[in-house]
Amino acid sequence: MGKPHSQPHGHQDSPVDLPGSQFIGGRPLLWTTGTIFTAALFLLLTNAKTIHDWAVELEPSPTTIRIVEASERWQAMTDHLGLGAMRAHVHALWKQAQATRFGTEKAEGE
Amino acid sequence: MLFPTLTFGLFFLAVFTVTWAVRGSNEWRKILLLLASWIFYGAWDWRFVALLIASAFLNWSTAALIARSDRPAARKALLAFGVGANLAILGFFKYFDFFLEQAGILLTQLGFARDMPLMQVILPVGVSFFTFQGMSYLIDVAKKRVPPATLLDMTLLMSFFPHLVAGPIVRASDLVPQFQATPKLERGMVAMALLLIVWGLFKKAVVASELSVGLVDPVFFDPGAHSSLDLVIAAYGYAVQIYCDFSAYSDMAIGLAALLGYRFPRNFNQPYRAHSLQDFWRRWHISLSSWLRDYLYIDGLGGSRRGTFRGALNVLITMLLGGLWHGAKWTFVIWGALHGLVQMIETLWRKGKPGWAPSLPKPLAVLLTFHVVTLGWIFFRAETFDGAVAFIGGIGRGDWANTMTTPLYAGLILLGLGMHFTPPNMMEGIALQIRRLPWPLLGFGVGLAILLIDAMRYEGVAPFIYYQF
Repeated sequence: MGKPHSQPHGHQDSPVDLPGSQFIGGRPLLWTTGTIFTAALFLLLTNAKTIHDWAVELEPSPTTIRIVEASERWQAMTDHLGLGAMRAHVHALWKQAQATRFGTEKAEGE
Repeated sequence: MLFPTLTFGLFFLAVFTVTWAVRGSNEWRKILLLLASWIFYGAWDWRFVALLIASAFLNWSTAALIARSDRPAARKALLAFGVGANLAILGFFKYFDFFLEQAGILLTQLGFARDMPLMQVILPVGVSFFTFQGMSYLIDVAKKRVPPATLLDMTLLMSFFPHLVAGPIVRASDLVPQFQATPKLERGMVAMALLLIVWGLFKKAVVASELSVGLVDPVFFDPGAHSSLDLVIAAYGYAVQIYCDFSAYSDMAIGLAALLGYRFPRNFNQPYRAHSLQDFWRRWHISLSSWLRDYLYIDGLGGSRRGTFRGALNVLITMLLGGLWHGAKWTFVIWGALHGLVQMIETLWRKGKPGWAPSLPKPLAVLLTFHVVTLGWIFFRAETFDGAVAFIGGIGRGDWANTMTTPLYAGLILLGLGMHFTPPNMMEGIALQIRRLPWPLLGFGVGLAILLIDAMRYEGVAPFIYYQF
């Protein structure tokens, strides 16, 4: 059994401890909250397909029916504004990459 | 509730908001984190939340009694009771049917065939992780390495949702002092956390899932129906899949805990650049290997105190039990035995090597170590011992037609191996840069990265490999 870098029974190092000053910029909680909610807002606007796919997988109930309907409307609206185009484009490229063959291998599902 | 799902994303947003909103009261914060952890665990099966609570109470109360007792014999007896109770929980849920099956086979061979009362016990997710955590806490309290924790801290230590189901195994000495202080965020910690979450998401949702569904699962399901080349590529594919799957979980767990203000230890460090099996275990599942080293190899078996050969033998025993920890299957025992035997040979060779004997050049040692590890993965992944033998036998058939590997799979395998040879501090360097960005820009970048990953991910999310352990 190899001896890990940490000391036996001692404190183990964490990858989130970066070297250097900890005091870069003020109000770190506000900065973190802003970052997380900006990312969430960006995904809400550009990734409506995933939200709809998630909604249809929910256990059926009157509430989930309303969630599915709302997610459908949301996807239609964001697609109409072109916000879902980037995801659709990358997904199409990825599907192309999945379908590419060296030549001798079987097609998917064979 | 799986990390790379929208359900978990919404859950985490709620937990993040609520726990930081009550940061004025550390006790309330911990209570809310505990409730959130039980909701997270209850999403699999509510019945096992009771097991988790009972296990935490057992370890807390036993440790409290140990700490109060002055008599060494009483402390020892209480420790034996506590460790025995944890092993009984683990043994019942994980090994009960396995040992009964083996007993049935043995009785049949001796001419006493019996129908064994198998119970088809459901395995609680993460039971191996939280029982190991409970045992290490008891041993640390008994050996006075840590003071006893409060009931709230102990319960949260065992239940905290980022590490609950698949580690890292976070010890009381690391996490309880953090629970006792009001957590604080700083930008570098958050930048690294976000990087780890996005990188983990990519490794799991794109690399591991794609390789698993398209290449590894079909080949391991029926090795006899595939060419030697398919088998070789699938073995490499599994080496990349299990790394990208398990290290992804650890990365995301470390990142999520950091966003809540807590530091988890490193669990992976580019394991496939190891130049020996001993080096591999310094880099792979570090929290388990250090746990096994500290509590089993040193505390339990005595380490190398009784000479080189005994030390090497103890390594073999440790690895055999480490293999069995992964599950009640002979294939895991063989995997552990292979790792133990090779480490035994490495130790004995290192100690007894004649002065004139040359050392293997490092690149060759890395290549050799990687292939020993990959051989072990075949046993680890195969459903049965016969399946593993058929897989290895198939490689020897010498049929080199490609029927499975596409350019995408080849590219993902090369990427998965290539990430082991990037500069070790690359992520740290990136985090140091992005912590200076204004939050709207960083938020946009994180959102864009997740969007791209989501566009590439395989449809549906398979559970993490280590959930079954």
